[in-house]
Amino acid sequence: MAVASGRLRAPAFAAPTSRFRGRGAQAAGIVALLIVGYLLWKKDYSWPSSLAWDQLPRKLDKAQDWLLEQRTAHSNPFFAVLDAFRAVCDWLVTALLNALEWFTWVGTLAAGTLIVLRYGGWRAALTVFLAFVSFAVLGLWEESIQTLALMTAAVTISILIGVPIGVMAGRRERFYRAITPVLDAMQIVPAFAYLMPVVIVFSVGPAAAVICTLIYSIPPAVRITALGIRGVTPESVEASQALGATPTQTLLKVQLPLARRQLLLALNQTIMFALSLVVIAGLIGGRGLGDQVTSGLYSNPALAILAGIAIVIMAIALDRATAAIADRTDPARRQLTDEGRRRARTITLGTLGLIAVIVLASRALGADAIYPDQFETASTVYDANIQDTVLGWFNDALDYVQDPASFVFGITEPVGNFILEKMLQPVQNLLMDAPWFAVLACSTALAFVLSGLRPAIIAFLMLVLIGVMGVWEPSMDTASQVLVATAIAVVLGIVIGIWAAESPRVERVLRPILDTLQTLPQLVYIIPFIYLMPVSLVAGVVASVLYAIPVVIRLVTAGVRSVPPAPVEAAQAFGASRMQVLTKVKVPLARDSIMLGINQGLIMVLAVVVIGGLVGSGALGDQVARGLQRNEFGEGVVASVAILALGIALDRVTQGRRKANLGGGAA
Amino acid sequence: LRTHKKMWAVVAALMLALFVAACGSSKDDDSGGSNQSASGKDCGTLTLNEQAWAGSTANTYIAKNALEDKLGCQIEITKIAEIPVYQAMADGKVDAVLEDWQHTDEYAKYIDKAGTVVMGGPLGVEGHIGWFIPKYLMDQHPEFKTWEGLKGKETLFKSPESGSQGMFLGGDPSYVQKDKELIKALGLNFKFVTAGAEPAQVARWSSLYKQKKPVLFYWYTPQYLNQEFDLAEVKLPPRTDANKDCKDDAKEGGDPSQYKCEYDVTIINKLFSKKFADSGSPAYDALKKMKLTNDDQEKVAKAIAGDHQDPDDAAKDWIKDNQSKVDAWFQ
Repeated sequence: MAVASGRLRAPAFAAPTSRFRGRGAQAAGIVALLIVGYLLWKKDYSWPSSLAWDQLPRKLDKAQDWLLEQRTAHSNPFFAVLDAFRAVCDWLVTALLNALEWFTWVGTLAAGTLIVLRYGGWRAALTVFLAFVSFAVLGLWEESIQTLALMTAAVTISILIGVPIGVMAGRRERFYRAITPVLDAMQIVPAFAYLMPVVIVFSVGPAAAVICTLIYSIPPAVRITALGIRGVTPESVEASQALGATPTQTLLKVQLPLARRQLLLALNQTIMFALSLVVIAGLIGGRGLGDQVTSGLYSNPALAILAGIAIVIMAIALDRATAAIADRTDPARRQLTDEGRRRARTITLGTLGLIAVIVLASRALGADAIYPDQFETASTVYDANIQDTVLGWFNDALDYVQDPASFVFGITEPVGNFILEKMLQPVQNLLMDAPWFAVLACSTALAFVLSGLRPAIIAFLMLVLIGVMGVWEPSMDTASQVLVATAIAVVLGIVIGIWAAESPRVERVLRPILDTLQTLPQLVYIIPFIYLMPVSLVAGVVASVLYAIPVVIRLVTAGVRSVPPAPVEAAQAFGASRMQVLTKVKVPLARDSIMLGINQGLIMVLAVVVIGGLVGSGALGDQVARGLQRNEFGEGVVASVAILALGIALDRVTQGRRKANLGGGAA
Repeated sequence: LRTHKKMWAVVAALMLALFVAACGSSKDDDSGGSNQSASGKDCGTLTLNEQAWAGSTANTYIAKNALEDKLGCQIEITKIAEIPVYQAMADGKVDAVLEDWQHTDEYAKYIDKAGTVVMGGPLGVEGHIGWFIPKYLMDQHPEFKTWEGLKGKETLFKSPESGSQGMFLGGDPSYVQKDKELIKALGLNFKFVTAGAEPAQVARWSSLYKQKKPVLFYWYTPQYLNQEFDLAEVKLPPRTDANKDCKDDAKEGGDPSQYKCEYDVTIINKLFSKKFADSGSPAYDALKKMKLTNDDQEKVAKAIAGDHQDPDDAAKDWIKDNQSKVDAWFQ
């Protein structure tokens, strides 16, 4: 990087606005006050029990028992409807699975590849082909097919439910505002909390897994569809109305076609969200790769990691395939003549015919329904996959990082201890031991200074709610972990994000890494870190940093890139070095994006909290996990609501003065 | 254009045929759950649930291979979490769980009240929970044989997590435990640190074990890692007539002194779905009679989780070596 040569004073326009500087100083002052409060009254004022309502968990437990009794007792019409829904889900998953098995593995491989080849082009087809091959080679064919069937069913139903709601939300502002909190709740409340009620109502198996997935994957479908419908320019809508189109016609002929790209993005995001719940589905009989992750975690971590990799491969292949299909079939991009259209139809027919021939031929030749474990020839038997070899490598690697004499251990141990002793514990002490009213007042003041009056009121109410539910202390514990993880993610994210914005090569290297990090199911992150960073608390923090950092990096990169050229050129004209341009012009002007990065980072980190509970983060995440594992349903729900409230409070404190943006939520 | 129409028709017909065939084939092997024939002789298909730990994998695969061998059953294995599996049994989606660690709340709800799950009696494996330290540490500090020996020496167990106190590494949050309360009741200066799920806890203490550092943690038998690591137990206050109301599960909290005693032996139970118990399947009688010792289970679990052997192979090996034991289940 260029060394600063000219020692010119920074031009006036490059300085941050005085208002921001003022706000920064005020925020620092508030934090200082909190520290003073902590030093004065350490541990003296914990949330008073007279202000807490501790009957709530028991009431919720009673409600669950009631549900169970209703379900066991007699058939009532309400459960009959739910049973019917369950039957449909079960049937859909089983039918898909049976179809894939009937195709035989050769047929499935051919059908997947050829369909994507027809609509998405050869690159996407190659990705899909390689994905299938890797499932086979890794010895996870059957599990992958099960997951694929589950996913397809969940995504289909999500789209069927989500898109109409999204269309409605896109056309009616008030409806959109009414459902936004519901969508937020669906995405932030951890699946662990509602797993047991879902099982009581829908039993275990594919249906329950699909339903749990729906809760998580419908919101993005709704949000992005609404965004797409709103994005249609008012001129187009007015023009169609002027031509006398009915609202239905306007929707079908103008709004939906123009929102096409967003609708396909909705499909793509729904797939990604659904995939990230596959692991949870494993806990309630969803089978497939999720099963391998959850049970492998206990008895065979290497297998759990392998299954996690298969999930990532599936995510990447589905992502590439849907993106390519969206791109290639865009009518705006292909002006088809009659001749072209006829040719396209011939190719489609040819593809379908070829698939049918391959399927029938492989059936006739006796190909297995699922990829076999062994190939037999007349004389010898070959292993058909390299699972054992790969698991051997993983086990060696896990042994290596755990060996106190190893080089890696020499790095991970001090780093882990540093994060714990120098970062986590001080913040934890501050938030948990400072008087509750000081924390409450300072958070509210911070929200007021940084974001305004309304956010401050909401943050205040959310924190009070946490206290009243009797989970103040674990919530502060969780909040401190979230803050530390976010701080690390933001610092690293800003540095890497700016670097990527300055160097296209860095960005190119980063892209696939960020993609992988974002699609990896949260539980899979944790597994390697349990072994890499055995000091408790740290594994959870490191995993949340990795989960949040892609979003921060992307927002920062985009922000720095979008700085208008004029001020940059002006600064260069003044002789500013590259470093000076960056620190004095680009970064200050990309401030809003960076602020958004902090905000989104916090929310992403919060999403990993529950999983962190499984690796010693304790606090709220632990309580939610126990809710399922020890059937403390009420406690689990209360902790989930606290996570939600904490999320909203942190969001309001850090949202800044930007307008609430549509389509928010996790990226 | 007409040729195209014809081609479309052909392809559509082909696709329809494929779909119908696929759906049709689904009926052939659509046999989840238990569908034993009325005669009571045929075993048919049954579903066992494997719990998330290696010991359960061991006994589930032993049962699977024995039943396949002796009765020609078709065994399906599910991997549903411990609590949801009760509902699965109530709905007849899972026929049996072979290793249940005394979920008394669920017993009350599903066995006593709803009657949809049936108690299958003890598996023979006995769970024992306690406080453990590495053997090398016990050799250096013989006073750690009982909890009183820990008094005043807590700081020996200091770790980054525990600050100025000693660290007590708690067990998987989903397990029965009362260590936080015990520490308080015994007046020890330990900070209770949770490492989270079992693999994380194992990673933590085994890392300290490998560095030959002191560590005190919640642990239990039967556990295959006991064959790999040399551990020793710290005796807690014994159960006597005086404290026979002493509790083990501090889920409800309350006064710590009510937990001031060692953990009771946990009888590990088999559970069956009511549907399966009433089906007259010969597999039910066999599973009811099935018995394993801690040693049996640990050996097979070690082969699977420690030596990465295929569960079916490990179970088959054990069955081969223990023919008489297995035969007794089928008489």
